[in-house]
Amino acid sequence: MSAVPVAPVNVRGVRWRLRLRNAREFARRYARRTDGVVGAVILVVFAVLALAPQLFVGPLQTVTTATGTSLDPPSAAHLFGTDEVGRDMLNLTVHGARISMTIGLLATLITIFFGAVIGIVSGYVGGRTDQVLMRLTDFFLVLPTFVLAIVLAPIILDIVGTDAELFGIRATLLVIIVVIGLTSWASMARIIRSQTLSVKERMFVDRARVIGGSRAHIMRRHILPNVVNLIVANAVLTFAGAIFTETTLSFIGLGDPFQPSWGQLLNAAQEAGAPGLGAWWYIVPPAVCVVVVILAFTLVGNALDDVLNPKSATR
Amino acid sequence: MSARYLARQSAQAIFTICMIVLLNFILFRMMPGSPDRVNPRNPNVTIEQRQAALARWGLNKPLIPDQLEAYVGATLQGDLGYSMKFQGQAVTQVIGDRFGPTILLIGLAELIAIFVGLGLGAYTGWRRGGLADRIGNGLSLILYSMPYFVIGMPMIIIFAAGLGWFPTSGMLTAGATYSGPVDFLRDLVAHLALPLATISLGLIGGYSILMRSSITETRAEDYITTARAKGLPDGKILRSHAIPNALLPAVTLVAINLGYVVGGAITAEIVFNWPGLGTLTVDALNSRDYPVLQGIFLLLGVSVVLANFVADIVYGYLDPRVRQ
Repeated sequence: MSAVPVAPVNVRGVRWRLRLRNAREFARRYARRTDGVVGAVILVVFAVLALAPQLFVGPLQTVTTATGTSLDPPSAAHLFGTDEVGRDMLNLTVHGARISMTIGLLATLITIFFGAVIGIVSGYVGGRTDQVLMRLTDFFLVLPTFVLAIVLAPIILDIVGTDAELFGIRATLLVIIVVIGLTSWASMARIIRSQTLSVKERMFVDRARVIGGSRAHIMRRHILPNVVNLIVANAVLTFAGAIFTETTLSFIGLGDPFQPSWGQLLNAAQEAGAPGLGAWWYIVPPAVCVVVVILAFTLVGNALDDVLNPKSATR
Repeated sequence: MSARYLARQSAQAIFTICMIVLLNFILFRMMPGSPDRVNPRNPNVTIEQRQAALARWGLNKPLIPDQLEAYVGATLQGDLGYSMKFQGQAVTQVIGDRFGPTILLIGLAELIAIFVGLGLGAYTGWRRGGLADRIGNGLSLILYSMPYFVIGMPMIIIFAAGLGWFPTSGMLTAGATYSGPVDFLRDLVAHLALPLATISLGLIGGYSILMRSSITETRAEDYITTARAKGLPDGKILRSHAIPNALLPAVTLVAINLGYVVGGAITAEIVFNWPGLGTLTVDALNSRDYPVLQGIFLLLGVSVVLANFVADIVYGYLDPRVRQ
């Protein structure tokens, strides 16, 4: 009876190999979704523009550094024409990518944070906590959030003032970010909660509880990894919604003229009377960017949802 | 319909409306500025005068319950205060003046969008994967990604500034006199055409996507297979079996989306300078006319809750499964 030599199991190695296999499987299934791939490519292009706009078109033009004259149609010098103070539209549009995408990203992060925390806590803890949190969620779901955002934004702005700044983002934009975040977490919380309810019943959660894992530990280490797929798929759709809301809020005059997003450019175009003057070049570049980016996010989000969400995989 | 379902839905609606009123109260109090701070640097304004101002507006009483009571009482009596911009006009009157044009615009747009959008969605969902589906769904996705003003601005450039078919702004020609109702109607329709088309197009995308997924789910049901096995023609199955069932969730979602529609339509009104609640909201926003803003929020909040309530009741009546 000689002991069979057992090779020591390298737990970490196995875990990494598993992750790699999952990632490969995911990539293979995602690559089959043509619309998702097209959306992803578009997003990469805009992400590059947003990361380093000055590499492509130089620094953001202001009234004093404007290179053209008022409302020039497209020409060789100004491919996209100029705005009412002579700034190059190509320059403004590319810089707008940075501002629109930054606002969208930060607002999405806030939404994910609140949505995930409230959804997981509500679903896992249950009882009275669940009831209170879900009432709150229902309230925010029913509320016309866009109208709430319109009411909230000027009030917050009057309280903090327009000149405050954080990480180089001006107060006006911070207010937009916070307002979008505060008003759009509810549906995310709903989805995460229902997934949490089903994960909670699985055996490994009982096991973790039996060996003495605290609630916080279980929620962080056992529930969260199992709902992260849903969070990712929804985050992409939330991003589309955030850019949509940002564009609309900026358009009605809540944006910042000193850090113009696409919505802010369209607001400036409207104020300058560009539609009535037939100055289409002032409107088309930012408008096309908005639509293309939102469409790309929607395509990627739908594809991710189909690939990652176990419920819709059968369709 | 069970009394319990009705009671639960009513309780929820009333609770939400109370929360909206409470939120309105809190937001009002968060605002900087108050009557006693009028010219605080003016040495001629004495402490006594300031305190008199506070007492006059009841601001020296505790926030809760006295001020809340006064606010709720006034709101229940339909007193929403006075506009700051249109001096001397009650908020209810300012909002009431702008209510009609918005209802006209959004009501008609909803009607068009529900018919066209749900029809398009039903057709593309039924023919899922075909050429018509790809074009129809692609179009819907693009429309769904467009804020209303992004649809509206090109409309003005092409059809108003370019071709000159329609006027660029307003609801009626300024200062026009009409020889008769037909003349008046013609002017109104000319002004209405572009904003109406804009909002309808914006809505069609969302409704079509919704109906498409609803029809797709219905298509997999057993009763559709049964209808097919009976040898019913394809169009008949779609009209009599699939659409009535798929319509339920779609109609509910239309009601739930009402809040977003009204909010989004604000931007279409700005583009076309339509004299409705949207332009009023932005005017109030730019001049920081808080009483009007709060009034609009209250009005829209309460109407959305009521729309949801009606949708829930109708849905519960039509589909026994949700009454649990």
